[in-house]
Amino acid sequence: MKTVRIVALREDRKRLLEHLQDSELIQVRKHKDDIDGFSMVDMTSQMQIFERNVTLTEQALKVLDDYSREKSGLLSSFKGRREIDPDEIGVIASKSTEVMRVCNNINELNKKIIDNNAEKVRINTSLNQLEVWKDLDIPLNTKDTDSTAVFIGTLPRVYTENELTETIAAENPKLEFEFEIEYAAENLTCIVLFAPISQKAMAEDALRTLGFSKPMTPTHYTPKVKAEKLRKKLEDIELENERAVKDIISLSVRREDIKITQDYFRIRADKYNVINELDHTRHVFVINGFIPEQDCEKLTALCDRVAVCYIEFGDADDDAPVLLKNNRFSRPAQNILMMYAAPSHADIDPTPLLAFFFYFFFGMMFSDAGYGLLMVVAIGIVLKVFKPDKRMRENLKLFQYCGVSTFFWGLVFGSIFGDAPASLYNFFTGANITMADILPWPTIDPQKDALMLMIISIAFGLIHILVGMGCKFYICFRDKDYGGAFFDTGLWMMLLIGIAVLGVGMATSQVVFYIGVGIAIACAVGLLLTQGRKKKGFGKVIGGIASLYDITGYISDLLSYSRLLALGLTTGVMAQVFNMLATMFGKSLIGVIFMFVILLVGHAINIGLNALGSYVHTMRLQYVEMFSKFYEGGGQEFEPFSLKSKYIKIQEDK
Amino acid sequence: MFTNGMFFAIVGASLATALAGFGSAKGVGGAAQASMGVLSEDSSKFGKMLVLTLLPGTQGLYGFIVGFLILVNCGVLGGDMPTVGQGLAFLGASLAIGIGGMVSGFAQGRASVSGIAMSAKDDRNFSKAMVSVTLVEIYALLAFIVSLLVVISVPALKI
Repeated sequence: MKTVRIVALREDRKRLLEHLQDSELIQVRKHKDDIDGFSMVDMTSQMQIFERNVTLTEQALKVLDDYSREKSGLLSSFKGRREIDPDEIGVIASKSTEVMRVCNNINELNKKIIDNNAEKVRINTSLNQLEVWKDLDIPLNTKDTDSTAVFIGTLPRVYTENELTETIAAENPKLEFEFEIEYAAENLTCIVLFAPISQKAMAEDALRTLGFSKPMTPTHYTPKVKAEKLRKKLEDIELENERAVKDIISLSVRREDIKITQDYFRIRADKYNVINELDHTRHVFVINGFIPEQDCEKLTALCDRVAVCYIEFGDADDDAPVLLKNNRFSRPAQNILMMYAAPSHADIDPTPLLAFFFYFFFGMMFSDAGYGLLMVVAIGIVLKVFKPDKRMRENLKLFQYCGVSTFFWGLVFGSIFGDAPASLYNFFTGANITMADILPWPTIDPQKDALMLMIISIAFGLIHILVGMGCKFYICFRDKDYGGAFFDTGLWMMLLIGIAVLGVGMATSQVVFYIGVGIAIACAVGLLLTQGRKKKGFGKVIGGIASLYDITGYISDLLSYSRLLALGLTTGVMAQVFNMLATMFGKSLIGVIFMFVILLVGHAINIGLNALGSYVHTMRLQYVEMFSKFYEGGGQEFEPFSLKSKYIKIQEDK
Repeated sequence: MFTNGMFFAIVGASLATALAGFGSAKGVGGAAQASMGVLSEDSSKFGKMLVLTLLPGTQGLYGFIVGFLILVNCGVLGGDMPTVGQGLAFLGASLAIGIGGMVSGFAQGRASVSGIAMSAKDDRNFSKAMVSVTLVEIYALLAFIVSLLVVISVPALKI
């Protein structure tokens, strides 16, 4: 990684930045301290405009999706961004105002629909409230006349006419009144009560004690007319909504334009964001950044081509971002590494090792030749047809390589869609053969040779851990920490190897066994003597003894690899179970149809469940068992100034 | 009372499948509830949530496999009729994955729920959450290995 400084004229700024953004060569770094004579240019207001436009288009797209969902296949998420010609940008820019108008239009229509829906709820509530008054033939807010006070409202209880007369009379015997019950049910009595105007206060008091309240929707129309009017209004709103929805749907043909415009604004916002971080004088501006060493010449050529500028390269220090360089075989595993942490400058790039073990262990866990072949072919087709973007492409390739490994492990375990070939052959011919009879090469049956396979799994685990420790050894050696290399790492490696030799010796010969014991004891003594070396006094003894306790950690790490067996077995047995279920319905036509359905669904379930399991557990083996031995992480990934678009990408010049 | 061990073997197969399945069902159920809460806010996280939700599901599979292997070896789906001793051995073997799978299923479910909360806050936490949740699994795995090793060796035992 190199640092780079480009000094160029302000008049070239737009062109130069555009080309840098397209070429994705440098990562721009904000200058920490001010330099005399330079100042920042504030582009925040322009940026905000662009960002608001992005938000508006996002809203518009969401509205479009709500009313006319975009037809998208199951696999369309693999699809890469559409490539456009660099010249098309100009056309998009010139159309953007018009497209923004469309977006605003869509958003307004949507707002109208939302407002109308709220109004509809309000009207419906009013209608419900009016329902109980439908027999009343005077308006709800009828005022008192010169001689009579009018009370229209509800009481929170059901009364009959007699009851109410008695209740009111009991409340105030002097009150003269006349009333009519409009509606009485469900804890509600709607009444109209008349009293002489001279007794208005008395009547009010009496009614208040009974819990009288006025209706919520006073109106100077009679309830029936009012209800009619509200219903008419509801219909109008309904019509208006329908029209708005139709309008929105008719605008959905512009979806592609909106997407492209959204990206256009997003790209511009990014560019202005970068301008914000540059130092300017009246005539020149300075870009500081990082660039991978191999791209320096490309950058020089590019800058010479598009602008008058001065370029200076320098050596990057330790806080520079990291760009991993890997070959085709191991590049897909970079995503897995980055999910853990980007390597710091003290780390080595473990991607090639990670890639190899990832493919290897995934295959061993998924272990089915049929599934493996399916993965390879299906991913091959997706890569060809959809042309996914870089990140998705790498992820798919990771699984493709895993598929190859799965295929080979499937052959080793004698598993092709479980025992499908054998069980189908038995089903149609009535024979009784096993997979081992069909396959001409010797296979390991995880169900019968589980113990052996567990030992093999743990042996692979030992190799995996030793490779991890080997990396630690190398890092310590490189940093001239010889104590760390030989004592802390080397002795443990030898101890583990000693125990392995001892184990082999137990199964084979006495001599090998004693050699193993010898190595193990020698290393243990070595650890006792060296592990306390950084401590003082008594701590020296304790440190040595305490370090031997780490053996439990190594044992649990090794046992963890038995999941290679467990998951491998799971895939095989599940497949076998589905094959067995499929062949249970007899050889009739219906039975055969059932068979195909069960085989299809069953193996799909099995692939889904176990591919997920294999992926997760392989990752765990890498992260927990291997990386813990040597990998520090904590670096910064190199993120070039680029087009962070969602839908389009600019074609590269060929 | 029993002339052969078929009954014990079947009880064993049932226990292994049911107990481990119970653990997984509870674990996956809790995790699914948590992940649906997250999905209601942001449905684009479906893939990651699915992974974290399914993690406590393996115990049920392990239990089922042990159950299936017992059935294959005890005369129900193949193999010879077990003796009483062999039947009891199947029953004993099933307890490891049955109980171990159940309890680790509960525990892993809770860990999953926390992992879901963690990766809902920040996508970058996903891999850490995932690895942390799989730490629980080793105990189900050990239980499974013990059950498995016993089940496949029982037909050869003279008891």
